[in-house]
Amino acid sequence: MVGEIWDLIILSPMINILIVVSSALFNNFGLSIIVLTIIVRGITTPLTLKQLRSTKALQELQPKMAELHQKYGKDKQKLAQEQMRMYKESGVNPAGCLLPMLIQLPIWISLFQSIIRVLAIVPEDFLKLSGHLYSAWPQVFSLVPLNSRFLWLDLAVPDRFLLLPILVGGTMWLQQKMVTSKAGDPKQQAQSQMMLWIMPLMFAFLTLQFPSGLALYWVVSNVISIGMQYFITGGWGGLVAQGVAKPMGRDKKYLKRITRVEQKEADYTASESDIGVDIGADIAEADMKQTKSMTPDRYQPSLRAVKRHSKKGKRPR
Amino acid sequence: MLKKRTMGKVLLLAVLLLVIAGGLAIPSCSPAKGIPRGWSGVSVSDDALFLGSMEGKLVAVDKSTQQRLWPDVPFKKKQSGGFGCTQGTDAVAIYGTPAVTSELVYITGYNGKMYAVNAETGALRWVYPREDELEPIVGGPVVAGDKVYFGSSDGRLYALDAATGDEVWIFESEGKIWGTPAVNGETLYIGSFDQKLYALNVTDGSPKWQFETEGAIVATPLVYDDTVYVGSFDRYLYALSEADGSLRWKYQGSNWFWSRPLADEGIIYAGSVDGKVYALKAKNGEMVVVFDMESPVSSSPILVAGNVIVAVEAGQIYSLNINPRQKKQLVNLEDEIFASLAASDDVIYIHSADDVVYAVDARSGAILWSLELESE
Repeated sequence: MVGEIWDLIILSPMINILIVVSSALFNNFGLSIIVLTIIVRGITTPLTLKQLRSTKALQELQPKMAELHQKYGKDKQKLAQEQMRMYKESGVNPAGCLLPMLIQLPIWISLFQSIIRVLAIVPEDFLKLSGHLYSAWPQVFSLVPLNSRFLWLDLAVPDRFLLLPILVGGTMWLQQKMVTSKAGDPKQQAQSQMMLWIMPLMFAFLTLQFPSGLALYWVVSNVISIGMQYFITGGWGGLVAQGVAKPMGRDKKYLKRITRVEQKEADYTASESDIGVDIGADIAEADMKQTKSMTPDRYQPSLRAVKRHSKKGKRPR
Repeated sequence: MLKKRTMGKVLLLAVLLLVIAGGLAIPSCSPAKGIPRGWSGVSVSDDALFLGSMEGKLVAVDKSTQQRLWPDVPFKKKQSGGFGCTQGTDAVAIYGTPAVTSELVYITGYNGKMYAVNAETGALRWVYPREDELEPIVGGPVVAGDKVYFGSSDGRLYALDAATGDEVWIFESEGKIWGTPAVNGETLYIGSFDQKLYALNVTDGSPKWQFETEGAIVATPLVYDDTVYVGSFDRYLYALSEADGSLRWKYQGSNWFWSRPLADEGIIYAGSVDGKVYALKAKNGEMVVVFDMESPVSSSPILVAGNVIVAVEAGQIYSLNINPRQKKQLVNLEDEIFASLAASDDVIYIHSADDVVYAVDARSGAILWSLELESE
């Protein structure tokens, strides 16, 4: 049942579109995959933009995150609460970064299945291809199997010259590097560095195992991502260490939110100071000095939690 | 702390990648998808059956006792692959029906090898090529005179000395060859993915004529009354002059013609993967009757006891008659059938996709015996 639905709404349309597009592009299946990638990335652009802005906003929150870690490092529950509050108030959804990737998963699976069928790799699958062809498009019956040659590649098998795994890994590394910012927390920095290498290496490894047609999709998709990131985030991001990203378009919305949150907290702190609450002020001051030394930028740490605890004469844990 | 957290993230990432790899591989690695398993038909001699099992072995079975004549002959696997499953199986898939002579059994493998095995003992006589491998071989071999012929995915048709396996000649087409050749007298007919049907001289492989369709050709041609009948992926069944390849008529189905047609009393029976069997007048292609089989037909029909016997992919076997028009289900094996049928003494032999050989009475449809080939 699930298989039939999958075939009906995903696999069969993809197979027929790939065949027809390939026919229109000089019987070149490689070009057909590139066009498919562009179409898919075009359709998922709103999600990608959301992800990019979310990622950028998360970067903006890095100094505050570092403070929270510093402050509530030992109280996991409190730390989680504060993080969630910060995300909510800033309008950032950390899980939003994964969505575009998850949405692409069915595309990868159906593309892999399509490649196996239209390139006549396995006789059983090729025979079953006949059941996927649309009788409304009579030309599709004659056009298969498609030509598997594209540049130096046989799209039906992994690249023997290993160029494609390097391209997949390289473009993925570039893309990741662009969105990786220098975290204040050394632990986070170490994690980011590890992620920066693991994903590209794993995908390069997968490229060695799967038909080149699928890897071609990954390369083109990565290149599109790099281009989008460049224009959306206003530069090469993490690739250029000193580069100052220029906010563009809707990014300002997120930045404004973050600024509003900061302003709100600063006001709150100021108003508490005005009414002359001095109990535990020495502890708060010490904390402030410590945090200031870590985050020399404009932001003053959230003192609300400190002050609250100070009122009760207890040091926050 | 750092280690714990980092390990946690690495683990999460590994799980994500595993899901990706699994998602890509699993839908294509189920028994029906992604792995070449084979669909070798059964070859019948006087007292034995020969076929390729889905474990990549040549099996010889005594017809009357269903005992093995000799231990199954395993064939060497091609190098294994990885997640992609395109080559990741140990068994050599065997798609072609073996060709049998009094002395040798010839069998082709998806590993790009052709084997000749002693029919009495199961000992390997020769293998071609001796070194390396060809591209995957899907079609079966045909023995005619002193030569054995087969096509390969490298687009070549090979003619070998049947006794020694020495190369006699090679003909090169411009597309993969997945079909089994047909030999009639001094001419060999073979279709290719390059959309052409070739008529070749059996002595030296020189082309006599060629006919271009608009689709790939996998079906084995049928020669009947000076006419060559062959189906194509362009959904047409073609009738061509045996002498010069000129078109006599063509008939359009609604999907690919994958299997060899059958001729009986001036009628051509052609099964299509559109789930129909077309009965056409051999002379002019006029439609006599169309049988709706309700499942794709990729197995070649055969004639047994005066009846046309057809197997459909869903596992049913039918007996067809045009006068009076009748479609009678003989048996439902409830197992997919892609392999060509064979018959002897009014008994039909079928190799199912579950790697089971069935012997079915052609008149009553009773299953006389079945034999699971999978080793324990």
